[in-house]
Order: sequence, then C-alpha cells, then structure tokens
Amino acid sequence: MEAPPRLTTRAGLAALAAVSLLALVEATSAIVAPHRAPTDADWRAAAHEIRSGFRPGDLIVAAPAWADSILRVHLGDLIPVEVAGRLDDERFARVWEVSQRGARATAARRGAVAEERRFGALTVRRVERPAAAVTYDFVARWTDARVSRRGAGGVVVECPFAGDRIQCPDINFNFVRRQIVEVDTRLRLALLAQPVGQATIVIEYPAARLGRGLVVATGLHNVWMRKEAAGKVDLRVVVDGVADATFTTGNDDGWALHQIDTSARAGQVAAVRFEITSPAPYARHFALAAEARE
Amino acid sequence: MKRLTLDARRIDWLVTLALALAAVSWLLAVEGKQGFGRDEGQYFRAGERYWGWFEELAGNLGHGEIKRSFTAPVIDRYWSDNAPDHPVIMKTLYGLSWRAFHRCTCMGAARGLHPIPVKGRHVTLPLFARESTAFRFPAILFAALLVGMVYRFARGWLARAPAAAAAVLTLAQPHYFFHAQISCFDAPITTMAFAVGFAYWKSLRSSRWGIVAGVLFGVALGVKHNAWLMPIFLVGHYLWMRRGDVRARRIPRPPLSFVAMLVLGPIIFFAHWPWLWASPVARTRAYINRHVQHEHYNFEYLGLNWNNPPTTTARKLIRSTAPFVETGFTVPVTTLALAAVGAVVLARRRRGEPVAPAGPGEGPAADGAKPSWLRPGEDVDRAPGAFLLVQTLGPLAVLAVPSTPIFGGVKHFMTAMPYLAVVAAIGLARLIPVLAGLLPAARTRLRRVAPAALAALVCLPAVVETRRSHPDGLSHYNLLAGGFAGGASLGMNRQFWGYAQLPLLDIINRDEPANRAMYWHDVIHDAVSMYKRDGRLAMSVGNTGFGEEALRRSQLGILFYEKHWAIYEGWFWDSYHTTKPLLVREREGVPLVTMYRREQP
Repeated sequence: MEAPPRLTTRAGLAALAAVSLLALVEATSAIVAPHRAPTDADWRAAAHEIRSGFRPGDLIVAAPAWADSILRVHLGDLIPVEVAGRLDDERFARVWEVSQRGARATAARRGAVAEERRFGALTVRRVERPAAAVTYDFVARWTDARVSRRGAGGVVVECPFAGDRIQCPDINFNFVRRQIVEVDTRLRLALLAQPVGQATIVIEYPAARLGRGLVVATGLHNVWMRKEAAGKVDLRVVVDGVADATFTTGNDDGWALHQIDTSARAGQVAAVRFEITSPAPYARHFALAAEARE
Repeated sequence: MKRLTLDARRIDWLVTLALALAAVSWLLAVEGKQGFGRDEGQYFRAGERYWGWFEELAGNLGHGEIKRSFTAPVIDRYWSDNAPDHPVIMKTLYGLSWRAFHRCTCMGAARGLHPIPVKGRHVTLPLFARESTAFRFPAILFAALLVGMVYRFARGWLARAPAAAAAVLTLAQPHYFFHAQISCFDAPITTMAFAVGFAYWKSLRSSRWGIVAGVLFGVALGVKHNAWLMPIFLVGHYLWMRRGDVRARRIPRPPLSFVAMLVLGPIIFFAHWPWLWASPVARTRAYINRHVQHEHYNFEYLGLNWNNPPTTTARKLIRSTAPFVETGFTVPVTTLALAAVGAVVLARRRRGEPVAPAGPGEGPAADGAKPSWLRPGEDVDRAPGAFLLVQTLGPLAVLAVPSTPIFGGVKHFMTAMPYLAVVAAIGLARLIPVLAGLLPAARTRLRRVAPAALAALVCLPAVVETRRSHPDGLSHYNLLAGGFAGGASLGMNRQFWGYAQLPLLDIINRDEPANRAMYWHDVIHDAVSMYKRDGRLAMSVGNTGFGEEALRRSQLGILFYEKHWAIYEGWFWDSYHTTKPLLVREREGVPLVTMYRREQP
C-alpha cells in the first residue's frame, strides 16, 4: 500500500490537533461562560455605590447598551424620561458607567475617570468632564412655541393649544406635541410634528436665549411608519439675524445631530423658527429636539 | 435455544433506534421549559380545530351522513383556520396527537378555552401531563426520525462512529434544537428535506426509491413551502452528476425520481389539504401568493433592523451575508471546523474514490452499466460532494438574495443543517485514521475505542452548547460570536415569536389583582390559553390585548426585547410614568423580557 503524502499526513495531524483543542476549548467555554455574567448581587452592589454618590443631573449608563433595562431595574428612579430620552450626552458633567465584559459607553468616552470600583462582574466608573450649559431647551419649553401652518398660497392658519398638543385646524394629524419618540429603535424625548402636503408647519419660539451654538436633532419616529414610507422631511431652521439652514432627514438617517453657530448672538434673546416640509409627507412622523448651548 | 446474533445490519438498526430514542428522550425531557411562540399558539388552535373535523366525520359516519363532512361549508368551518398560510400535515398530526395523548381535564375550568366545543371528557392514552406536550409530540418524533435518517445516510459512506456523530451533530445545534421541540414546521420540513434528498440519492441506483422520492416530496409539500425549493437543488446535482451527457451534447434523461415528484407531489399536496378542494386553482394561487409576496417582518441583523428589502448597494451586500454569518455564529464551532475538513476531503476526492477511507467506492455500480432513467446513477460516479454542496449551500444561497425576507433567521435555511452535519462527519472520518496512526499498533483495545472517543470529543461541545442554550435557543450564539452576550453586542437577532415569558408565569400568577389587566405584548391569545389549559397560568389572569391601547389599559405588562419593539417601551414609560421596570428576564446578563408594573397613585 502506498504511504500517504507527507504533507497530507502533516495536514491531517494539524487538523486533528486543531479540532481536538477547539472541542475542548468550546466545551469548557460553554460551561464557564454563564458564570461570567453579572449576578443580581453585583447589580445591587453597583447600584448602592452609585446611589451613595449620585447628584441630581448625573447621567447613569450601561455598557454595553443592551444591559440598559437591567440597569433601570436597579436605578430607574434616578433615570427620568428626560434623561433616558436625552438629545445627546453633552449636558452631563458627571457620568456613571456600569460596565461589563470590558465594554465602554459612548456617553462616558469624554472626560476623566474620577472613580472606578469593581462589583463582581460589573465595573462602576464615574467620569467627570466639562458639560455643555444649556441656555434654552426647545423640547422642555415647547409650550413657549407658536405653531402655524402656511399653505401653498401663503395662507397662514394659527394652531391653538388643545390639551397635550398644539393642534392645527382641519387636519387631525397636524399637531405638535412633546412625546417619547422612537427613532432608529432608540427612545428620545422630542417634539413630534408630521409634515402636511403642500404646506409648511412652522414652530416658532419668539424669545429663545441663545448661546454659542444651537444643536438640532432630527429623526423619523415609529418603526412601522419608516417601514411604510420612504419620503424625506426637510427642516429649515431660522435663527433671527444669525442663521438659516436646512436639514433633510430620511429613514436611514437615524437620530441626526446638526450644529448651528450662533456665537454672533450669544447671550441674546432671539426668535428661532423651525419650518417643516416634505415632498412626500405620507407616514412621516418627524421628530425634532433642539438645545441652545453656551 | 437459538442464540441471537447481531450482524452488521442489525447493529445499524439498533444504533438507529438508540439514536432516535435518545433524541426523543432529550427533547421530551426539556420541552416543558420552552414557552409557546406566536406561531405555535396558532398551530395548537388550528390542529385542534382540524381534529374537530375528524370528530364530526365520525359522528356523520355513525349517522350515515358521511357526505356532510365533505361539503364546502363544513370543510371550511374547520380547515380554513391558518389557511392559506400553511398546509396541514403537521397541524393535523399535532391535533391527532393531542386528542390521543393528552390527560383530559377538559371538563374543568379550562373547558371554554378550546377552539372547538368540548362535548364530554376525552378518553385518551394519557402519555403526557400537559396538553401542549401532546401537541408537540409529532414534531419531536420528526426530529428523532431525522436523527435516525442522518445516521443511515451517513452510514452509506462512513463507519459507525462518524455516522453516529453526524446524527448527534444534527440535533445538537442550539437553533435547530429550539425548533425541534415545538409544534411548528421548521424542524419537520428539515426532516422532510433530508428524507427527500435521501430517497433521491438512493433512487440514483434503485428504481423503487424513485417512487418513494415522489411520495416523500408530496408529503414535504404538505409540511411547509420550503419544499418548493427541493427540486431545484436536486436538479443542480443531477445535471452535475450527468455532466458527461451534457459534454457529449446529450440531454440527460429525466430520472424516475423527478417524474415521480412531478406527478405524485401535486396529487398528494392537493389530496392532503381539504381547504383546497372547494376551489383548487384559486386557493392554490392564494397559498402561493401568500409566500411569494410575504411581508418582510422586522429582524435584527448586525445591529440593523431589517423590515424591507434593502435598496442601497451597501445594504444589499450586508443583507446577502446574513445566512452565512448566521450559520457561522450559531452552529457549534467544532462542527463548523469539522465541516471545513469534510469539505476539503470532498473537494480532493477523485471520481470513483470512496468518500471516507475504507468506505465503499462511489464509482459506477457495475462494469458496463448503461444509463437508465430508472437508475440514472448506475453508470457514473454519484458525485457525493456536489450533492452535499447543493443541499448545504442551496438553502443558504436562496436566503442570501437580498429581496428575500430574513425574519426567521436560521430556521429559513435550517434544511441545510443535517447535510452540514454529514459533511462534518466526513471530516471526522478523515481524522480518525490520523488518530489511529498515532496510537501504538500493540494497543489494539485503544485503537478500537479511538474512533468512538474522538467522535464523542467532537460531539461534546455541541451537546454542551445546546444544553446551555435551552430554553432560549434563538438568543444563543456560538463561541465565535461570544455566546448570548456576544450575540447581543454584535447586534444579532435575540428572539422572535414572543416565547420567552414562561419563567415569568409564576410571578404573574402571584401579582393579583394587577394581573387581571395583564398586557402580554407578543404572546398570542392562543398561547395564553394553552398556559391556562396546561395549569401553568391562573384562570383569573387577564389579557388586555395587543398594541398601544391595550398597553395603556393594563396594570402589569411584559415587553420582549426585539430591536423594533423599542416603541412599546416608550409607551410603557409614558403610560406607567416610569422608566423603571419591575424586573428583567435575562440569560447570562442579556435581557430577553422586561416586565413593568403600574404604580398605584
């Protein structure tokens, strides 16, 4: 009988060694890995640590983000909707990060680690950094807004307050209100305003205190509506005497952040106008949040 | 007394039986921990309703009015349930199994929860304590049948140890294992895809198997619509096997198996489904359109939520990787590694050579054999590599087309998995002589047990991983992905069908009176009813319904983690005035179900 080629024999030995080793590693990992997960006691201890040092205005986040709901079981009372649905992370000077498996949260990337402690499989870090000072929160102060609908012929219809919303006449879905929205499968607290065909929805804040910049976030709310339609929504932002910019938002844009430089009128009070239009407004649940910042 | 001798054939049948029994035992031992998904709830209901038709048929037979049961209104009353979605072989078996094997408490409090009137106490053979187990039993038997068939098929090329490993590696895949114990169609169609492939393979050298292939294909058509694809893969192999004809500019003769599939398939399909009888063309068209035009449900893959066909090139490319990446992240890694070895073995194999060392040759069956449509593989090498290639990669390739929906994840191409296990076993068979070569020639006992020991070693991680995954097989990812947590970090789909609530039932039962206004999210009404019929959920627990308004009416509610369900969590925050869940059901730290409770003012 002919002997097998040397190379084949070597390859066979290598394959045998590799598969055998892999089998042992995989079996061991399957047995050991479940014990690497954080326990309820780890979470309780981490939560106790955070509670003892927590100050109002702090942000608490989980890393990886998929552990967020477990984090809220233990610390949800310190994470109100306004924080959970924040525009971004910049207004928080102190961030508590509860991390597992070596993950880091985006919200805790900027700044210096002031404190770090391990609780079993969890690591609690407190990160401190200079925070953006908000001079005007357009979502929190949504009742300051004047809403109107400007038709194609220039006819302007004023929209009055009606309970939890500012409702424009004649069109049921034509309203503006503050609500929890889902954009790109994440929850935000924002203004919801559906565009109307052949019309412009105008949301005007007559007296907003400006800082050096205006941060505007846009997105399309509701996963079913994003599935249903593909039209884009245009947002024109007019800051009296400073800026006039237009941002377009589509299904795949997620929660898009836009920066507008308002340093020329920093510290002053000015009118800020948001104009919402869409060439294809069907099933477009437009969400908008904005903050004027120092 | 005549001494019983075990010849090779008998031993193989014993091994087949042992493997199948082990599969049934394993699945029956654990199925009770796995909750009811949306689809399974519907099939419980449909299966019992189909049983209702048989019950009425028996009554009509007794009254000499058998024709009544075959009138369109009576047929539609029972058989239009879950039509035109799916044919009825499995659902009928589920209904019959339930009727035969459940322990009847049907005259008690749960009497009103049945989809058909309960006229009296059912006389049954009460094998199972839970009604749901009786429904699931046929699916479990189908899984066992597959395990046995894989062994028989692999045994055609391989020694006992690697052939048995093929059978074990088929069952010991977390996602397949999940599906193997529930009364749905994905595991049964995997069995049927293998059965049809096996019969086709044998038909290449045996004419009677050609007829069998036709019958099995008809049954497969009655199990699930994946069966439509089976002939495509087989034709691909057949043309490759008979490529000599093509080179000689001869059209290969259609083999008996294809003729039988073409003739018997539609006949059996039509005969098995009473709902079609009233309007065969229109209803068959409705069934086909239901699947050809199937909606794209939401599904998470690589951190993105997919619910429409991708439109950009980049998204199409990402989407087309889904079946391959999902296979790479869900099948135990050792199985994948062995399959890679097996693929190399098959690729290097020359025409006529055996698949495995010392195995039977695959060349022409006899010298001077002539081509025949009855035995079209008689005069040629049957091309086992090509056969396994099309059966393994074919289903994955179909799901790689970006316009196909991917909402079922692995289950959509699970028919490939038994063949993948066979390829892995071929890899194992190649490694066994290498191991034997390392052992001293004098150690005969050691050399004798070496194949079984190596087979056990490579099956160990698959079995341990599968055990680890239960009952959350859909959330489980392999060593490459990093387990449950790794899958979550990679943005792989965590679950679907709303089945993971079972461990929360006791907590829900205790939370009175809030549980009377219970929001079940993705748990279908039929599943809630079955929990009550099984005695696992208190009869007083309520169900406020589905959607936002139902959530706002509730006092207690659950939310399944799926990427697109985030909007529901927003409704909880808004309606319950808190972001703080009552608890989270997790696996290895990964959230699966979140429970909220409305605080009293």
